[in-house]
Amino acid sequence: KTPIGKSNLLDMGSLMIKPIQRVMKYPLLLCELRNSTPPSHPDYKALEDAFAAVKDINVNINEFKRRKDLVLKYKKNDEDESLKDKLSKLNIHSISKKSKRVTNHLKILTRGESQVKDNTFNKEEKMFRALEKTVRHCMKNISFCLQHVQDALPIALQSVRELQEISYNKDEEERGSSETLSNAPNPCHDFASHLQRLVLNPLSALLSLFPGPQKLIQKRYDKLLDYNSYLQRSAGDESDLAKKEYEALNAQLVEELQVFNQAAREILLNCLCSLITLLRDLMFVAQRTYSTVVLAPLLVSSISEIQNRVLEEVHNLNFVKDNSATFIERKLSFEKKKPVQILPEVPRQTDTHRSKLLSTYSAEELYQAKRKCNATQEYDINLLEGELVAVMEQKDPLGSTSRWLVDTGIVKGYVYSSFLKPYNPAKVQKADTENRFCDDDFDNIKVDEQIFYAVHAFQARSDHELSLQEYQRVHILRFCDLSGNKEWWLAETQGQKGYVPANYLGKMTYA
Amino acid sequence: MSWIPFKIGQPKKQIVPKTVERDFEREYGKLQQLEEQTKRLQKDMKKSTDADLAMSKSAMKISLDLLSNPLCEQDQDFLNMVTALDTAMKRMDAFNQEKVNQIQKTVIEPLKKFGSVFPSLNMAVKRREQALQDYRRLQAKVEKYEEKEKTGPVLAKLHQAREELRPVREDFEAKNKQLLDEMPRFYGSRLDYFQPSFESLIRAQVVYYSEMHKIFGDLTQQLDQPGHSDEQRERENEAKLSELRALSIVADD
Repeated sequence: KTPIGKSNLLDMGSLMIKPIQRVMKYPLLLCELRNSTPPSHPDYKALEDAFAAVKDINVNINEFKRRKDLVLKYKKNDEDESLKDKLSKLNIHSISKKSKRVTNHLKILTRGESQVKDNTFNKEEKMFRALEKTVRHCMKNISFCLQHVQDALPIALQSVRELQEISYNKDEEERGSSETLSNAPNPCHDFASHLQRLVLNPLSALLSLFPGPQKLIQKRYDKLLDYNSYLQRSAGDESDLAKKEYEALNAQLVEELQVFNQAAREILLNCLCSLITLLRDLMFVAQRTYSTVVLAPLLVSSISEIQNRVLEEVHNLNFVKDNSATFIERKLSFEKKKPVQILPEVPRQTDTHRSKLLSTYSAEELYQAKRKCNATQEYDINLLEGELVAVMEQKDPLGSTSRWLVDTGIVKGYVYSSFLKPYNPAKVQKADTENRFCDDDFDNIKVDEQIFYAVHAFQARSDHELSLQEYQRVHILRFCDLSGNKEWWLAETQGQKGYVPANYLGKMTYA
Repeated sequence: MSWIPFKIGQPKKQIVPKTVERDFEREYGKLQQLEEQTKRLQKDMKKSTDADLAMSKSAMKISLDLLSNPLCEQDQDFLNMVTALDTAMKRMDAFNQEKVNQIQKTVIEPLKKFGSVFPSLNMAVKRREQALQDYRRLQAKVEKYEEKEKTGPVLAKLHQAREELRPVREDFEAKNKQLLDEMPRFYGSRLDYFQPSFESLIRAQVVYYSEMHKIFGDLTQQLDQPGHSDEQRERENEAKLSELRALSIVADD
């Protein structure tokens, strides 16, 4: 007994599969129809075309479905896997697959292009990668910048407040402006919250969307390698599958990457625009905060004038004058130093000079400089090591026999005789080595002695300085003053200690 | 003060009137506080200028990294925008550097110079204190002799003690007077000294921020699609993000 009005009972699943079944029936139908039509029938051609078209539709639907399935398969896999799952998937098949891929990859790397290539995809992938890098860097840099802004602006405001406090009496009228400054809100507050909302949040959300496609791109490359390897061998079922899989994944990615890249680019540009706008607003707020203080017009140059004047007055106070060593030294270094006599650059001795000397003077009169001599007194000359001189007189104007008048062929002047040795051309080489040895000795002794003498007389202007007479010998205790100033040296003589200007002192060696 | 046990070496009578002592303490106290303030301010200003420099450096890094990105080669519009941003950031850095230099010259250096006076002050106060101690000691000695029987040797010693006391007392009083006179003047000088620095600092900040405001304002005019407000951009971003999430290559299950 059939119930009246009862339809075929279908559940949702069966209902939904109906269209698919129908679509798949069409090729079969048309095929049957075509087979039973003789080729000479006028409809045969149309039937052929219809059959082909319907078959295409089915194939397309299939491939489309394959794409989605593939994507889903690979997307799902990596997320939920644990190490154990991954290890359990390792079997002969997967290992051989992987090793084949590695070989193919290396082949491509070493031998150049693979046979399978999709330029559109490559372009999109390049853009994808560039976008990822950009978004990542922007996130990092903008976050850092935000941090620095949040550090810098409050400190600046704080410093301004502190300076204001010492610049004004508490009970003066400027109190009004000081209140606005001290009550000013943190200028970064809005900036930080807006930046977070408009720039950092979208960018970080965007950044989190990149890994998904990234994995699929990698998978596509694997499929490409598989397909590529099959191309070199005979076609078969396996190669067909590889081709289908590769093409499905490729097509899917090409289509969707374009959308992805476009949208990502939009978001990025929006964020950059927001950033710029926010910076503009931040600057405005900061400017307004500081503009609340009313100022009198003042030139920069007059600032230092005013301050120097005040400072001078302060320094004239007795308690300052009486109590600071460093102050005095600094004051003196402000004053103009006595111009140090700069000796003119003496041209160095050349062979012509030497030969002139050799020809003009006899052998006994010729001497050689043992080491570099620096002129320290009037009428002294500079000598380089090894320079030839002819001794004209073995004493100086004051009668001292330790200074000799010599001729270098260029100039005539005085040097200490201890710097000279008889010139013996034959023994020049041996003498050089001896010289070096001597120089070391000189250096050691020099360091120990620290004896200087006053080139000019110096008048002490305070308790901390030491008066010197011309040519007075002093012992140097330190080559700088308490504040590290190398122009003033701590000297001792006749039981007294004090500072003397360094340029008044000349080095004393064998005299 | 009779409950305080009489210490040897301390005079009985108060040689320095309490009011004077109080005044001295007050003036010196103010100056000590000022010294603290200048020291702290120096430190804070240094921190501030360092922070400013760090800020502009990190801002420049944003545009620098963007410029060196391969995206610029592929996308002309992007390149234009990033170049404009980079120019703005570089100008920001330049202005910032100038601001820091200005602050260095008109605030930090004068601060240092002013601060260098304090060691002298402290030394002078110490010396006054020493003089006071000497004064007290000798005063106590004189009082001790005054209390003894007026015999010959005692009188002689008393006279000698008085002679010793006199220069020390004069020295102390001179030092005291000098400091009492000069400390307020020093304290007062800070106003004239620092007001120009303060004004210069404010001015430097205002100039810098107004320049920056102009630079970024121009940039937004140049680059931005006109009429885009924050909310609009936010909505656009959300829309785009949803679009992205809808893609199958992106979709989470």
